[in-house]
Amino acid sequence: MSALSDETAAPPSVPAWRRGIRPYLLSIPALAVVVGILYPFLSGAWYSLLDYSAGNTHVKSVWFANFADVLGDPGLWRSVGVTIEYALLATVVETVLGVGVALLLNRSTLIGRVLEKVLILPLMVAPVIAATMWKLMFDTNFGILNHVLGLGHTYNWLSKDHALFSAVLVDVWVYTPFVAVLVLAGIRSLPREPFEASDVDGASWWYMFRRLMLPMMYPYILVAVIFRLMDCLKIFDIIYALTAGGPGTVTTTLQINAFEDSIIHFDYSRGSTYMFLLWVLVFVAARFLVGVLTKAQKRAAGTEG
Amino acid sequence: MARRVLGPGQKRVSAGGVAADTVTVLWFVFALFPIVWMFLLSLKNNVQQTSTYFGFTPTWTNYLTVLGSKGEQLTSVDFKSAVLTSVLACAGATAVSLVVGIPAAYAAGRWKYKGSESLMFQMLSFRFAPELMVIVPLFVIYHYLHLFDTTVGLIWVLQLVTMPLVVWILRSYFQDLSPELEQAALLDGYTRVRAFFTVALPLVRPGIAAAALLAFIFAWNNYIFPLILTDSNATTVTVAVTKFLGGGGQAYYNLTAAAALLGVLPPLVLALCIQRYLVRGLSFGAVKS
Amino acid sequence: MASLTLDGITKSYGKTRALTELSLTVADGEFFVILGPSGAGKTTTLKSVAGLEPIDAGTVHIGGTDMTGVEPYRRNVAMAFESYALYPQRTVFDNLASPLRSGRTGTYTAEQQQKRIGEVTDTLGISHLLQRFPRELSNGQRQRVALGRVLVRPAGAYLLDEPLSHLDAKLRAAMRAELKQLGAMSSTTTLYVTHDYQEALALGDRIAVLRAGRVVQVGTAAEIWSRPVDTFVARALGQPEMTLLSATVHDGRIRTADGAVDVAAPTGLPRGDVLLGLRPRAVGLGHRDDALTVDGTVRLAERLGRLVELTVRSGDTDVVAVVESAAAPAEDSTVTLSVPTGEVHVFVGDRRWGSLAGKEDHDA
Repeated sequence: MSALSDETAAPPSVPAWRRGIRPYLLSIPALAVVVGILYPFLSGAWYSLLDYSAGNTHVKSVWFANFADVLGDPGLWRSVGVTIEYALLATVVETVLGVGVALLLNRSTLIGRVLEKVLILPLMVAPVIAATMWKLMFDTNFGILNHVLGLGHTYNWLSKDHALFSAVLVDVWVYTPFVAVLVLAGIRSLPREPFEASDVDGASWWYMFRRLMLPMMYPYILVAVIFRLMDCLKIFDIIYALTAGGPGTVTTTLQINAFEDSIIHFDYSRGSTYMFLLWVLVFVAARFLVGVLTKAQKRAAGTEG
Repeated sequence: MARRVLGPGQKRVSAGGVAADTVTVLWFVFALFPIVWMFLLSLKNNVQQTSTYFGFTPTWTNYLTVLGSKGEQLTSVDFKSAVLTSVLACAGATAVSLVVGIPAAYAAGRWKYKGSESLMFQMLSFRFAPELMVIVPLFVIYHYLHLFDTTVGLIWVLQLVTMPLVVWILRSYFQDLSPELEQAALLDGYTRVRAFFTVALPLVRPGIAAAALLAFIFAWNNYIFPLILTDSNATTVTVAVTKFLGGGGQAYYNLTAAAALLGVLPPLVLALCIQRYLVRGLSFGAVKS
Repeated sequence: MASLTLDGITKSYGKTRALTELSLTVADGEFFVILGPSGAGKTTTLKSVAGLEPIDAGTVHIGGTDMTGVEPYRRNVAMAFESYALYPQRTVFDNLASPLRSGRTGTYTAEQQQKRIGEVTDTLGISHLLQRFPRELSNGQRQRVALGRVLVRPAGAYLLDEPLSHLDAKLRAAMRAELKQLGAMSSTTTLYVTHDYQEALALGDRIAVLRAGRVVQVGTAAEIWSRPVDTFVARALGQPEMTLLSATVHDGRIRTADGAVDVAAPTGLPRGDVLLGLRPRAVGLGHRDDALTVDGTVRLAERLGRLVELTVRSGDTDVVAVVESAAAPAEDSTVTLSVPTGEVHVFVGDRRWGSLAGKEDHDA
């Protein structure tokens, strides 16, 4: 070959380090956004060490005084209790109902196939709007629920005794479809052979469910449960629209509590302290979730046996 | 005897089957009734909203009121401009997340590199972080930067909602795609950039559509960010809807219902468009339908 | 058209070593086959040549130019993937046109593209599939399209990864015969990967046998067949596999422990343990001069069409022989087997020492 042009000369070589940084280059914009979000995030953590409020012009560090203050406040522990009660109740009910609905729909009867198309509708309703809608239905005097259920004009859905359960009911209405669609997709992705085999063996439905389906569905249920549990821990919309934390403090969850301190009373540091505590909790849970999720995702993508 | 081959958990027709059908129907009554009831309520006039349950003379005027100047007088929020803000902010947030998130998702799906798992984890932790942790400082920062009560401010903070969704969903789609397709394109003589745009990107289009629409939906449904970080200029639909309930003294059930329905309509319609890809999106790519 | 030189290529995936100091030289226009079991590093070798997998150490020269760090699209090589890697969203025609449209394999007008694609698809028998999508094709058809995407373009070298593996047996035999006759292939340097020894023997100008990321032997088909460098190569070629008898050299005799074999050792064979390798087709019935003789009982006689595969029990070991069915003895009958001394491979410590006829030096 003649050395007429540069084309015939040695083609450019790409050194290893340049290949190595490619994924990083691609991630830079995302990283910038992450930093843009992390900055306020870290500020929030910083606030929890200050005595920062709208009225305070001489902000100074108080180290862990906020934590001591907050941790010693029975109000915090009340809201922790409310949050946990809400989260556990909602998650358990949604999981049980969601798995139930998925099993019902998996029968693929005509009725099921038609209704499946609208299964996710409640999930697409903004939680705050869902709460607003239910608030109208809960109305003691004019609400449809008291009328249809024959409770007259006396039953108060949002009273001290019932408010938390009513909030959970709204959560269940919105999010049970979430569990159901995940589990249903999970069931449908299961291999058919073991079921056919045990069907031939004449195994009972319950046996098949317990011994075959439940263990195989476990990863899907786990993903759904973790999503629900962690979302519930930071519940705000539904309760804020429904009861705003009341009556009294019976529905005051951690985020509602922080909202009142930071936004209503402008005590930024106190609210941030609450959130920091909640964030630590969620962070630990998220670590665990990522492991589960990554594994499940790899299985879904077919990159792992 | 020929037995029909049944799928996992399927049962033969029986008395139990009828019972199961009944329970299925009951569930859907529970699931759909609130939406249907809101629709009925939204068609009632001011008198009938409190005087009757099912018998009434339907009227569309509530929708006109909500969207018109009368609604604005009642709630001090212009619903039409709230819709516009929601559309702009959610579309903007989704667009930013796509532009920024697609390369990152591709990098994370294609290469195992140091820090990729941390980045993915950071994204996911945003999804589960208590919003107020970010909002309180942003509340202060936004006032300082004049981003308070602006659409741009919303777009920034909504990244918390849209970004994790886009990156996680698309990473799973890119992982799903055999790298040999792009390798074939490289050997056909296409540069990496062209291989990405002509081979990889078109093949994850369903994933992009699902991620984009879900991101839009969840941004639309968000409440806490606009509640705290906007006032009257950049109110979103979710905030506007709640204003009808609280408004001074009188409760406008029919108007609230109409506003609520207007607020849920866009997500419902979009969700029905991407039903096939919804499960994978909702589970951040963990469950394939 | 170009020669290929791989020198000292080492590649790991995480902790797994895929290739260890692999060196090969392929002459311009040569049809070079890489043979090895799955996991031996065959595909990794191809991808190293193509530049699709960065290598940890070593160099790749194509046509005398150092291409080690060069991007794949500048290397001017074409590859058929075992997974086909057809673009699912494009028709067969567009798949085949892809390399012609990139601008790096030459400039083609629409007519020229049409003509080239037409020629290739005619040869491969897929011209009726042009408007189909890959998902509408059988695996065999997909494989031919993948092959077509390589042949349709000029390239310095063709890299073919198991290009016939998914064809049915009949088509595979036909394609094997045709492949080398294809105009483009007969003049272009080709690196061909397979796990099928028959393909390797039939196609390869030269063959490299790969094991666990290392080259075990390089040579022509005849060399590899008749003088395998070690027991691994010996057993990798031939079906049924070569029978290996462990024996001991002592007092100028080679004996198996059970006494079934007792022959004179060739001069120079060191004392100690050896393996005697008998290719089933070299094993004949009855006595012969200058041959290793084994007496035994026919334990199994499997008919393979015209031939019969005999498993003969002698002492504690089985010797496999393939004989004409007309002459085949019945099961349980007693037979005498013999192998010419020149065809009895002698391995010392796994390496081939020579044959019973004497020591041979390897020039691989």
